[in-house]
Amino acid sequence: MTQAQKSYGYAQLEAVAQEMRADPTMVFYYEYSIPVSTTPDGTVLDLRTEFGEPRTSGSGWPIDEQWIVGAAIGAATAGSKAIARLPSMAQIYALEYVYNQAGKIRSMTGGQASMPFVLWVDGASRGRGSAGQHTDVGVEAIYANLPGMKVVCPSNAYDAKGLLVSAIRDPDPVVYMNYPEVRGGAQPNVPDEAYEVPFGEAAIRQAGSDLTIVAWAPATVDVARALPQLAEAGISAEFIDPRSLKPLDVETLARSARKTGRMLVVDHGHNTNGFGSHVIAEVVQEVPGTITRKIAFPDVPGPGSGEMMSWLRPDAPKIVDAAKQLMRA
Amino acid sequence: MMETKGTVDRRTLLKMMGAAGASGAVFAACGVPGAGASGTLARGVTGAEFDKSIRLATGGPGGNKDWRPGDSLKYLPAEDIPTRGSASDGLASRPKEKLLEMYWRMNASRKWESTMKDLFLGGDDGLYGAFHPSAGEEAMAVGVMGALNDDDYIASTHRGHAHLIAKGGDLNKMSAEIFFKESGYNRGYGGSMHITDMSKGIMGMNGIVGASYYMAAGAALHAMVRGTSQVSVAFFGDGASASPYYFSAVRSCANQNIPCLFVAENNFQYMSVPMARTAPTKYLTEYTKGLDIPHFLVDGNDVSAVHEATSEAVEWARAGNGPSVIEGMTFRWYDHAGFSGARIGEDGASNLPYRTDEEVRGWISRDPITRYRRWLVATDNATEAELDDVESDVRKAVDESITFARESKNPAPEAGVLNTYASKAATATQFYNRQGLVG
Repeated sequence: MTQAQKSYGYAQLEAVAQEMRADPTMVFYYEYSIPVSTTPDGTVLDLRTEFGEPRTSGSGWPIDEQWIVGAAIGAATAGSKAIARLPSMAQIYALEYVYNQAGKIRSMTGGQASMPFVLWVDGASRGRGSAGQHTDVGVEAIYANLPGMKVVCPSNAYDAKGLLVSAIRDPDPVVYMNYPEVRGGAQPNVPDEAYEVPFGEAAIRQAGSDLTIVAWAPATVDVARALPQLAEAGISAEFIDPRSLKPLDVETLARSARKTGRMLVVDHGHNTNGFGSHVIAEVVQEVPGTITRKIAFPDVPGPGSGEMMSWLRPDAPKIVDAAKQLMRA
Repeated sequence: MMETKGTVDRRTLLKMMGAAGASGAVFAACGVPGAGASGTLARGVTGAEFDKSIRLATGGPGGNKDWRPGDSLKYLPAEDIPTRGSASDGLASRPKEKLLEMYWRMNASRKWESTMKDLFLGGDDGLYGAFHPSAGEEAMAVGVMGALNDDDYIASTHRGHAHLIAKGGDLNKMSAEIFFKESGYNRGYGGSMHITDMSKGIMGMNGIVGASYYMAAGAALHAMVRGTSQVSVAFFGDGASASPYYFSAVRSCANQNIPCLFVAENNFQYMSVPMARTAPTKYLTEYTKGLDIPHFLVDGNDVSAVHEATSEAVEWARAGNGPSVIEGMTFRWYDHAGFSGARIGEDGASNLPYRTDEEVRGWISRDPITRYRRWLVATDNATEAELDDVESDVRKAVDESITFARESKNPAPEAGVLNTYASKAATATQFYNRQGLVG
């Protein structure tokens, strides 16, 4: 199998399988997202049959997200590396146990308890037709606010595998965001072996000198569409994908801001207290005088109508427009 | 209590408060006698499985753990619904116009969904979005709603089109919402999964599994606060029975005699996950048996059985006795969402990996609408010609609703920042200047 043949989903399950092979007490719990993936050449990865129960949820667990998260956190506290994978509209059920237990237990126990727990959140997208509960993007900001938690947002198959390996190996709880919009399209090659993409290291997707654009999954999709138009408009944009939101690579962001003097943050999350606000706060504290602007999905639930949704989404035309205005500011 | 604060010490105060709480709990427990509960068990059920299980309502622990695709056929009821017995008599005692209205609504739900299926598959209207068909389960919706008053509340599920139509939902507004038009029930914001009509006590379909329990229980509390005799119904599926909210809501309604009915539409299919993974017991009604409230287990494709169980549960609730749990065994003809395995002009979806085609055909042969039609004729409540007229009328209403939807306007894109807050638009933060493209 060549590396390029791996889908995003296969790369992720490969990471889980490799770590589960390396650690016989590791567990992977999920609801209806059965962990099976194949490659175009017919290689099948089936974690249900390879690891069985109770290391996996077999052919599915009940629609009881508290149980899935609670079971994983309990197992992690006892010493298993544990992943709980939840669907987008139901991940918030996990918040109580994550809020009160996952991020606090090491501190509360004076360092006795470890928490090698990964909350794998299957994200939604700012797309038409689902409406409200099935369109939420930006929940990473909620988790990033919690002490003890780490948060990563991969935007391509290479980072998806590497960040997942890092998350599994991390002795602290990690929220791993899995957004659907970054899973398609052309993907970088994914090595067969397990490898880590370290937390706290941003990726500079495009170097530039006029303006810094910051976006993470899934806004990277819109920024990628905007970049050619910005080049045509004669704007040299530097595009940074933090990948890991907490810890955040403030150093790389600040270095870029010092160079360009201007920063545009694109956030598919809701405006108020969205993670982009934190990015700007950190950068402006490090590099006073940076001219900044954030464009974000408004403080509204995503509507079902395609007309409304595409108007609300901070997409490529709005990014291009914002970049142009920022250059004049 | 505040006045006594200065005159009693803290220990005495706490003792007073504790005593009040304890006596209240004892009083509530005594208010739900076990004999009363078991005396109201449903009678109008069909099929050997159901008869045997009316009182026990169980296959014992582990009842579903060996579930295999096709096992729902073990629950298949008789071909015809009984034309005698308490359920049949109960329904037959309703005015003829009510019986025909129920027939209209069952047909409207089916024809409306079948039409939407054909339009989604046909593609000419460019329909998009989530659509969870309830075809095959109409007897549950119409049977329950037939026993409610117009001002009673219901909280529906993601699979709730039949609930909406059974409670008098407007087909035009429903169709327009599927088309995401301004004239739709939710003005294009909600789509299939969130259709709501507050004016009819329909607290909405909901995209979150298990959201109905607290919605309905809270509405029942509202009715208690206002001093009305309204009741509330929470619909849920077998999958949603796993939600911790379920036991929580039933328990608290039992504890406080809250007039809420919990109606399970057990269709044996939580998305594509086998039943064995969801419910360790044979019936969902097992879960709350210890609460000593009425439980009804019925043939969910028999509108008379559902109607009878609901009538008893409603009477029990209106009399101040609190909640009941009703479980109807039924079957959804299509996939969880959308129309995989379905064809234009044909009923049911085939070739789905988690169930057998034999199973689908078996349940289609127990079509709740056909069974009701035969009952209406056999009991001399309607003639074939009258029922044909009803069906023609339904066809016309469904077709008109599609025309209405097609001719309606799309919502303005800028409406996207409205309706989140009661009085003020949200800021258009997606734009640099918070208004629109500057250029």
